[in-house]
Amino acid sequence: MVLLFLTIRVDQFIGGGSGSDGVEPLLKIYKQLADAGLKTYKPFTADPKPMDPEHLPVSAQEQATVDKIYNRMDELEDLNLKLGMRSKDDWSCACYVPEMGNTPERGDYLAWSESSAINYVNSVIGARTNRNSMGIDMLCNIIGKAPLFGLMTDEGRKAVWLIDVKTTKQPHPEMLGSAIGLKVMEDVPYIAGMDRFLKEVNEETSGYLKDLGAATASNGAVGLYHMEGVTPEARDKGRDLLKEGYQTYVIDDAELDRIYKGYPNLWKDKHGTPQRVFLGCPHMTSGQMAEWGNRIVDAMEKAGKSKISVPTYMFGSIYVKKAFEEKNPDVTRKLKAYGVSIPLNCPMMWCSTPVEGAELVATNSNKTRVYTSARFFFDDDLTELIVTGKLPADVR
Amino acid sequence: MSQITKFKGRPAVPGTAEGSAEVSHVGFNTCATYVDVLIAGSDSGVCKDHDNKDLFGHDLADKIVCIPQTIGSSSAATLFMIILEKGIAPKAMLFANHIDSLAACGILMGDNWLGKRIVTVDLLGDDFLNAVKTGDKVSVQKDGTIEIEAARAS
Repeated sequence: MVLLFLTIRVDQFIGGGSGSDGVEPLLKIYKQLADAGLKTYKPFTADPKPMDPEHLPVSAQEQATVDKIYNRMDELEDLNLKLGMRSKDDWSCACYVPEMGNTPERGDYLAWSESSAINYVNSVIGARTNRNSMGIDMLCNIIGKAPLFGLMTDEGRKAVWLIDVKTTKQPHPEMLGSAIGLKVMEDVPYIAGMDRFLKEVNEETSGYLKDLGAATASNGAVGLYHMEGVTPEARDKGRDLLKEGYQTYVIDDAELDRIYKGYPNLWKDKHGTPQRVFLGCPHMTSGQMAEWGNRIVDAMEKAGKSKISVPTYMFGSIYVKKAFEEKNPDVTRKLKAYGVSIPLNCPMMWCSTPVEGAELVATNSNKTRVYTSARFFFDDDLTELIVTGKLPADVR
Repeated sequence: MSQITKFKGRPAVPGTAEGSAEVSHVGFNTCATYVDVLIAGSDSGVCKDHDNKDLFGHDLADKIVCIPQTIGSSSAATLFMIILEKGIAPKAMLFANHIDSLAACGILMGDNWLGKRIVTVDLLGDDFLNAVKTGDKVSVQKDGTIEIEAARAS
């Protein structure tokens, strides 16, 4: 195996925002590294923390339980800062957005973890990283080298699946990603037929591509996808990216419907009224916050309501939140008045704690659905839920 | 006399193991399987991946887990270390496909840093996964040879 020098000007990404006893083996390694005075060769950002008591508060009793579960969070933060974390604010799974400023360039070599971030920087930016795990990411970034194989190589970035999208309208990114992940698992897919809906990577489409990729990486293990006419390598090389002997998977409306109907309902009260609405996993872009913010404001004004009917949360980093609020003061003011909150933590981890796991959570994220008991719903259904407190009868 | 079926794969982390098979025909989502171990500190090896109809609710501790490959979150490697440390790991992981970077990393780090081994064989092929059934008795040899003894019908 060849050891390849990483591009040293690029900030890195280290997984693991969960400071529970479960990560004890990792903390032992981090402590050994920190005690030896080692640091990553460039600063890094990290996955979001599990809780945000300020913006997503729980009862005092629940908080006490949560504090016991995440009793190693301060230790993890301290070790991260000693080992090279950029600052105490740099917790987000979507670190590559401009507001976070941890954005590699096309061709940069990285040793990142976090399945959704790996997928985004490989696919949408054209940087190169393998699917590293928490722990190995830190070790690679301490020595400044990563093994040269797989997605770091031209050959490893070729597609073995042609995904032929034949839907009648732009598919929901979570459903398209889910279908692709389930089919190809860790292989590289080349997605055709989407240039009918998306023309390029820009502020408007980056959220869609992020969510699509995250779904391929949670229902599968996709570290890179190409999208014909859209993602950088596909724009340059087109179908030359397809390996000889590739397989084809046709996705139409019926196939997406089949996937959606296969999602299990894990709520204790199968047809109960949702207690919370979680939007954004991975963390939202500022464009997605604006889109959802306007969607909620429009629906609330149309219904003549002054307060949302179900507690609603839009998850994002502190930098994205500030940017959204500065760019959209009127929407921000209205959302606050309605009761919509913007927490900074990881919704998936929040839902996985024993206390909160019993709640009936509705989400627009397939990733949150895969790892928790939360149920996935489409945007229009969630909007109706937020405004009226009820899901449409046909999706309950 | 029971019928023995043999397969030969690549001993990614060599060793011997014997036990009851747990078979998944869909990708093994390590994080979804052990999410309660990671977050809630659970000491159970029971599979919590609700998308995996083959393994959901099955206790995988000390079993011979037979899968196409692993999928999902990049926390997977850490989770292999955690289940090894807690003593709830499978005895062996048998991959029909190529082992992926996350499973390889976690299993090797557990072996090197914790001194605890999950015997691992990959490249066993689709025929292996079609042949082995949950409950079958499976033995693994150091050279990557797998012997399957079909469970008797009750």
